[in-house]
Amino acid sequence: MSGHNADHLHPSSRPKLQTRKSSRSKNMVMASHGRAPWYGPDGKNVEAYVIGIAGGSASGKTSVARAILSALNYVPTVLILSQDSFYRALQPEEVKQAFNNDYDFDHPNSIDTPLFVKCLMDLKQGKATEIPVYSFEHHRRMPEKKYIYGASVIIVEGIMALQSPELRSLYDLKVFVNCDSDLMLARRIKRDVKERGRDVEGILDQYLRFVKNSYDNFVQPSSRYADVIVPGSSNQLAIELLVTHVKRQLDTRSLRFRRMLAESGEEKAKARSRSSTLVNGETEDKPNVVLLEQTNQLLGIMTILRDRTTEREEFIFHADRLSTIVVEKALTLVHCQPKTVKTPLGLDYEGLASDDTLVGISILRSGGPFSHGLRRVIRDVPIGALLIQSDPKTGEPLLLKSDLPGSIKCRETSSDVKVLLLDSQMGTGAAAMMAIRVLLDHGIKATNIIFLTYLITESAIHSVHRAFPEVQIVTAAIDPELSEMRIPYDPSSLQLGESLGEADFATKTISHPNMNQSANDVGEKPDPRDGLKTEQELSSNQFKIEVKDTDQLKFSRQHRRDHSGGEKRAWVISPGMGHIGDRYYIS
Amino acid sequence: MSSPKTTTTCLPASTHKAELPENALVLPPTRQLQSLLTIIRDEKTHRGDFVFTSDRIIRLLVEEGLNHLPVVDKKVTTPTGKVYDGVAFQGRICGVSIMRAGEAMEAGLRDCCRSVRIGKDEETYQPKLFYAKLPEDIANRYVLLLDPMLATGGSCIKAIEVLLEHGVEEEKILFLNLIASPEGIQKVCKRFPKLRIITAWVDEGLDSNSYIVPGLGDFGDR
Repeated sequence: MSGHNADHLHPSSRPKLQTRKSSRSKNMVMASHGRAPWYGPDGKNVEAYVIGIAGGSASGKTSVARAILSALNYVPTVLILSQDSFYRALQPEEVKQAFNNDYDFDHPNSIDTPLFVKCLMDLKQGKATEIPVYSFEHHRRMPEKKYIYGASVIIVEGIMALQSPELRSLYDLKVFVNCDSDLMLARRIKRDVKERGRDVEGILDQYLRFVKNSYDNFVQPSSRYADVIVPGSSNQLAIELLVTHVKRQLDTRSLRFRRMLAESGEEKAKARSRSSTLVNGETEDKPNVVLLEQTNQLLGIMTILRDRTTEREEFIFHADRLSTIVVEKALTLVHCQPKTVKTPLGLDYEGLASDDTLVGISILRSGGPFSHGLRRVIRDVPIGALLIQSDPKTGEPLLLKSDLPGSIKCRETSSDVKVLLLDSQMGTGAAAMMAIRVLLDHGIKATNIIFLTYLITESAIHSVHRAFPEVQIVTAAIDPELSEMRIPYDPSSLQLGESLGEADFATKTISHPNMNQSANDVGEKPDPRDGLKTEQELSSNQFKIEVKDTDQLKFSRQHRRDHSGGEKRAWVISPGMGHIGDRYYIS
Repeated sequence: MSSPKTTTTCLPASTHKAELPENALVLPPTRQLQSLLTIIRDEKTHRGDFVFTSDRIIRLLVEEGLNHLPVVDKKVTTPTGKVYDGVAFQGRICGVSIMRAGEAMEAGLRDCCRSVRIGKDEETYQPKLFYAKLPEDIANRYVLLLDPMLATGGSCIKAIEVLLEHGVEEEKILFLNLIASPEGIQKVCKRFPKLRIITAWVDEGLDSNSYIVPGLGDFGDR
């Protein structure tokens, strides 16, 4: 459901918002199962679309936000960011006041605006960020933070959402929810009694002392910055208009984006035909590409791996052996510091030691074989994973799951981390670019990324280095070209997960007119719960996502049986070594 | 028959010490190799790390040693249906470790060669053969002789003599070794000019107890 196409809207795939809502936060993430490229061929991010929603307390901001969220269910990831997370850390004196209900939480000063702006700016630029967690029970900021990454639409809601000019400059659309004061008060009493177990007296006291003042002095006046004012009740029509506008905006963006990708695709095709005619001399001395010495042993290993008659056991043995050699080669690029040690004979030895924090990230599934080699070389290296596969409908890579070590998720440490990015082959470079973009979004320096692979094509080097010239590539072989192949396949025999190809294998379903339905099925095939799991890990139990499975999927499974067979088109590395992940893990 | 050229990343040992013979080769002294050696030389390194790190160096040595074996051209068909002009390994190999430190190198050899036969050769401080258990067909094989430390060269020479007695051709012996002394290399190469030595590092020399300095102590014990 990653297409930017409203046709995908289907009642059964609309997210069911979870009811067990944490009382502490209104933050929420909705994600479908995969994320299409969010960056152009130049590797630069497309900004997320940001909507700011302000309005009085209990005016109905959250329900407006959720209505927009569920109407945008075809967008890969929509995030609702609540201002509640950004309450300033209180001084001891203020904590006391807060416990006595004497602290004014409705004043603009109670919000940590600089941090709010920084987090939102990161998210808008597509970077990963960590938002604070504020506890109303303890009236303090909790030591842990919430990691958020990868939203294409962000909805910011809070009474002060339109207050600061810095925040306002980040919104693409500013909404104010307008509601009668008495209605808001009535809702507030109802909610606070029921959900927060407070008595009416206290609520009214707080209302008169803080809430009313704040609304009249700060909240209500900020409505003049709004692009749209939405009524706080009976607002279906207003929300529909709003959603139509947002959809149009997003469509225009994705159209522009797609055109950009298509243009670069043509360019790539040209590069492809050029590269096949390249003479050897021109391929040499590429900066930042390290090709292993083509020794007899290496050629012998490559011969075994490329041979289609090689048995699986033999394939695994030599794949492991080759990955060990590639990793050892890559480590020669890592910087070392002098270090003096004492030998058992009591003599000083002036040696070298590396003090870099190394992390391996394997691009699943074909990067899997590499992690074994990496473990052989660095025993305790943390290995993360990015599940990137190609969408058979569009041929574009999809980010299905990202599982990153803590040192990368944390922005303070990520700038010093060196990453060994592992994938067994790079055909078009599309999956590699997506993986590199994810790492850069986490604050990792491009100069600290080394890409390790068995096999790469000229055109992949070209596209990756055009966008990210500083990334180093270590490879065992460079194959001249990609060739187009038609692979017969039988849609009815597809197993879960099998439908998506290794991203770098760049498969694309050929849509025969009557295959269309089938092609759509393939896109929906992976269990949407995969996406669910991912996002739960990405965020925390405070963010919830649920994608309703079933009716449509059942229907599609049924439907697929009616088709007897088809073909898919694939760009494969030639001569290449086939589907490395499959040969390593399956057959 | 065998491919005429041997591409190797090895350097002549004379890059370390000028006056060493031609049939002694060393691994390229990369920063990474130096940091690995720093770990195994450090007396504070624990046994687990020591074994793990020396295995890494041994793998590098074995991969390098295997490059000196002959290959023949071989065409294969890839899963995409294209023909790839590759090479196939030729010649059977046999690893022989000099006990007991040499046994520590067997794991690294097995990582690189699937069905390698491993024989054993016993030695002591005074090079005297105690024990030799070698495959029957060793005369037809290439032999990778394993011993981590090459100090005086006494035990190494003894082991090579045993191999020659079993019919192994001298030029089919590759001696793989982590740290060598210039004296040891001189002695072995002079005695067996057709044999090749591949070592990770050439150290300063020997102390009065015939230990390599700065060295790493007793490899087998560690």
